Amino acid sequence: MNILGYIEFLRRHMKTLKWVLMVYLVALVLLDVLLHLEEAPGHFFIDRIWAFWTIFGIIGCSLLIRVAKAIAHLFLSKNEDYYG
Amino acid sequence: MDRWVHPALFFFLGSLLLPFLKGKVKKFFLLFIPALSMVDVAMMKPGIYGSYTFLKMTLIFGRVDKLSLVFAWVFVIMAFLGALYALHVKKDGHHIAGSFYVGSSLGAVFGGDYFTVFIFWEIMAFSSVFLVWYRANKRSIDAGFRYLLVHIFGGLLFFTGMMLYYYKVGNLLFLANQPGNAGLAEYLILAGFALNAAVLPLHAWLPDAYPEATVEGAVFLCAFTTKTAVYVLARGFAGFEVLAILGTAMTVYGVFYAVIENDMRRVLAYHIISQVGYMVAGIGIGTALAVNGACAHAFAHILYKALLFMGAGAVLYMAGTAKLSELGGMYKCMPLTMIFYIVGAVSISGFPLFSGFVSKSMIVASAHEAGRLNLLALMELAGIGTFLSVGLKVTYFAFFGKRETPAIAAEEPPKNMLWAMGITSALCFIIGVYPQVLYDLLPFPVEYRPYTASHLSEMLQLLSFTGLVFFLLVKKLVPEDKINLDMDYVYRKGGRLFMKLDEKVFAVIDTVWGEIYRTLGLRVLFNEAEFLYGFDKKVIDGVVDGSALSVRGVGSVVRRLQTGRIQVYIGCAVLILFLVLWFVVYGM
Repeated sequence: MNILGYIEFLRRHMKTLKWVLMVYLVALVLLDVLLHLEEAPGHFFIDRIWAFWTIFGIIGCSLLIRVAKAIAHLFLSKNEDYYG
Repeated sequence: MDRWVHPALFFFLGSLLLPFLKGKVKKFFLLFIPALSMVDVAMMKPGIYGSYTFLKMTLIFGRVDKLSLVFAWVFVIMAFLGALYALHVKKDGHHIAGSFYVGSSLGAVFGGDYFTVFIFWEIMAFSSVFLVWYRANKRSIDAGFRYLLVHIFGGLLFFTGMMLYYYKVGNLLFLANQPGNAGLAEYLILAGFALNAAVLPLHAWLPDAYPEATVEGAVFLCAFTTKTAVYVLARGFAGFEVLAILGTAMTVYGVFYAVIENDMRRVLAYHIISQVGYMVAGIGIGTALAVNGACAHAFAHILYKALLFMGAGAVLYMAGTAKLSELGGMYKCMPLTMIFYIVGAVSISGFPLFSGFVSKSMIVASAHEAGRLNLLALMELAGIGTFLSVGLKVTYFAFFGKRETPAIAAEEPPKNMLWAMGITSALCFIIGVYPQVLYDLLPFPVEYRPYTASHLSEMLQLLSFTGLVFFLLVKKLVPEDKINLDMDYVYRKGGRLFMKLDEKVFAVIDTVWGEIYRTLGLRVLFNEAEFLYGFDKKVIDGVVDGSALSVRGVGSVVRRLQTGRIQVYIGCAVLILFLVLWFVVYGM
């Protein structure tokens, strides 16, 4: 099995890969909109907003990274030998 | 089958034969024990077995029903995979500790009364600590002692609660408690269980000890302690609101630390807190779907978390470090390990076709169904963090990164490790594709279909856009060679503070007091004795015979009190404790 070969192939074509993934992301959002037009709206507001989980994912992920890192740098992070 | 054999017996008795076996026979036997217990569990029929009366209490060793069976199943499967992964280990003690740990977990799961559960609960703590200690460096020995002390504390909470429960109810049968009439007894038991489930704020022992365990021991540790606790919580405390809130808090707390941690195995340890949080929250929500979800998630979680620990352990075993800041580019030398790790990572993140997708979503769906949108939002946020830290951060910085060559020249791990990872990966995939296999084992009959268009769309959006943000902010996530403070700060620094207090204050007082006693006290006693002796001799000699004798008697009693023998003091302390307990128990 040539796992390494596949990985190297993908690494060589990074630019194309990025474009493919971009198209995939856009398609995901469009599909969700289609789904909302087709299905009956759910009980809660989160079920009714188009591409709700896209927005939630982007905001949630950036918040998590920034807040966690900020708090770590503020007072949580210590050197390895902190406890002696 | 009329005759019921406790599966723990295979592990307890079998492991004791290990020192007498050698070479291939021993390896075969190591796999034979869990295989035999699998057959045993497969042949079990629901019912009550192994019931004894002891000190007027009914001890039930074998309560077999759907809830205990689902946990027993995953425990014996995991015991087999863990044994396969640890097959190369030469130390018998390591295997024996592992076997006792698995056996006692099974004992706790089948226990039908609190006392039986308690006995196995304690064996679990004392056998599992050896899986930390066998790493045999200073950090692991220290961490092991802290682990043991915390679990002894948890055991005491459980024990105290159990005694109060006995005086309240009159028996120790382990049945479902109702949130409405739960008192101090129930909540103390709950606290003891919660400590083992690493519920906030009693969680710090887990990320403290697990990353210091042996490579093979960590695979066992991540499966049994917390999931046995999930089982007992599901059995006794379904529907307790406090669990819904704390469980959801755990999901976010775990991923928060996982985002900033540097050690691969510590990232995974924090993810145990996060994932067990989903189960605890499900138990707290308490509907049939939610409790089913908690059980399904425990089953799936044991497999993919073990797989992740196997992958991280393989890196540690072959490269000598699991620190992300020292790794990178490892895909070139350990491609199979990487693939198995990624299977675990996509399973925990809940990608479609893998086990997390079909189990975690049951709990999230139950929060949705119960209208608990705040819980739902936090669980989804934790889901994002899961993929971000375990899926993307660890995979990227350990196996890829900017490096063209591997950071450390290493090879694939031994064959038995690869096989264990391969089989576990296959199981994660099978559960993801045929979830009905898992759903059929669940305690409540509930119809749930994970593969709907809206659920697929929801998960793919969440995960894909998390991936996008990761690559935009990847510079922010570069691992740093640091540790992060957690609740263990309280007892690690607190212990040191106490030592300092002892050294600076108590020791000084003790010295001064000793000095005073020596110069004043003894002189007073001497003078008194001399005076009394004189008084006795000169004044009432012959009148009250023997008073001089009695003074000498007092002197010797005082001397005996001052022996400084530690066992005497401990004895006194225990006596006082019993007296206090006696008053508490009979005073109520």
